[in-house]
Amino acid sequence: MRALGRGLAALAVAALATVALAGPALAHNQLVSSTPADKASVDSGPSTIELTFDQPVQAGENLNSIVVVGPDGTGQWQGGKAAVRGNVVSAPLRPLGPAGDYRVGYRILSADGHPVSGEIKFTLTAAGTGTPARAAEVAPTTGQAAAEDDGGVPVWIWIAGAAVLLGAGVFLALRVGGSEK
Amino acid sequence: MTSTRTTTHHPWLAAGLVVSSIVGVLVGLAVTAAEPIPGLPEPAVVVRVGLPIVRVLLDMAAVVTVGLSLLPLLIGFDRPKLAEPVLAGARRVAMLSALVWVVTALVALVLQTAELRPGANVSAASVFDYIGTVGAGKALVFVAAFAAISFGLSVWSVRAGESVPAELRAAVALFALLPLPVTGHATNWRWHDFTMISMELHVMSAAAWTGGLGAVVVLLAANRTLLAHALPRFSKLATICLVVVTATGVFNGAVELLVNPNIPLLEALVGTRYGVLVLLKTACLVGLAVLGAKIRWRLMPAIAAHRSTALVTWAGLELAIMGLAFGFAVVLTRAPVS
Repeated sequence: MRALGRGLAALAVAALATVALAGPALAHNQLVSSTPADKASVDSGPSTIELTFDQPVQAGENLNSIVVVGPDGTGQWQGGKAAVRGNVVSAPLRPLGPAGDYRVGYRILSADGHPVSGEIKFTLTAAGTGTPARAAEVAPTTGQAAAEDDGGVPVWIWIAGAAVLLGAGVFLALRVGGSEK
Repeated sequence: MTSTRTTTHHPWLAAGLVVSSIVGVLVGLAVTAAEPIPGLPEPAVVVRVGLPIVRVLLDMAAVVTVGLSLLPLLIGFDRPKLAEPVLAGARRVAMLSALVWVVTALVALVLQTAELRPGANVSAASVFDYIGTVGAGKALVFVAAFAAISFGLSVWSVRAGESVPAELRAAVALFALLPLPVTGHATNWRWHDFTMISMELHVMSAAAWTGGLGAVVVLLAANRTLLAHALPRFSKLATICLVVVTATGVFNGAVELLVNPNIPLLEALVGTRYGVLVLLKTACLVGLAVLGAKIRWRLMPAIAAHRSTALVTWAGLELAIMGLAFGFAVVLTRAPVS
């Protein structure tokens, strides 16, 4: 049990050190604030959704997206593509329709190249007159266009190629190893 | 000690390690699964599930390579006749695991490129673009290069035997572990220097601990003389690794949770997907400490006296828990605190 005791002692020391050193440090690719705020109630929708992160977001074609889903769970209420300005990613919002909970989903590329996704919610208290775009009209624009022109192949072909490479490598390596005997 | 007994290995223990690491990934993915929002572009399933599985296979190949290159150092060089049949097998397996390491690093590179633009196909140009613009891509290239050097050394050692210095093989294998943690999501920028060093120590200790245990138990369990010699040495290494893994793991997990501006620590620990994974890994660590203590104080005296023990069972259990921890770790490095 001494190893366990030592482990626990180290754990306690590390925990104390961490608490002692803790300050208002900034984190890696995290959402800091948003307009509208998470879990806020609004009586009319803003014209733009703004998500503020603690670090710059990498801009690029089809790298960042924001979608807004209405109370029925299918309507798309964002009015266009997401734009990046430093730490802030924003997307225009259509005039909102029925009152209820709206979910804002995002997928952004953080400064180190790691895609981060998440969501916030807000509640519309007074019904508006807007109408959503259908999910089917919005979704295909995100990846399809890029798929055509770069002459790439689907991921599984790469994986199959790697498996063949590995098999050949193992075969050759065993031949090399076997020739010693 | 007949020569047939020295060749009785337990490869199923290594298989158990790899299988449990994949189980760890799947459990981790289930824990962190979020309900997708309609219309938000998501990577295909082959990328979402395939990437963490390839990453954990990369880790397992690294662990096996590191463990096997540490084995000559654990056995020592004073019983060459007894050790040579075991080490000859170890060198061949290390050659294959280093090859798997190279290939999984390249596949991970392709999958991470695919993750960047959901729905788009992957061309060679887009992979090079990924390497050029994203740090994690460069890190994987370095991993593949160092793993290839490790492979080259192991081919040489298969042909030339132990005249290829074991220290060199172990150093190259450990060095190849370093590039990935530097660029991971797990390092955070304000605390970057501390968390980076801490993460490097965490990864190297975990690999040496798991790989060392695997190599000793799989290859030496049937050979009482070598085991009586190597296990006490490994036990010292394992104690250091346990302490380092615990300290660095707590530090990194706590930093990542504490720096979240919106959620207090305790709430973040039980309420976020990242926190739940941290708790799962802590549970693994406690289990490993208990099993390690059991092997160190109950089994090792008997092993040192060349008596037979239930080492294979207990160590197999320990390896399975280590595999789970590696699986959780892969999902953890990709999970946001939310």
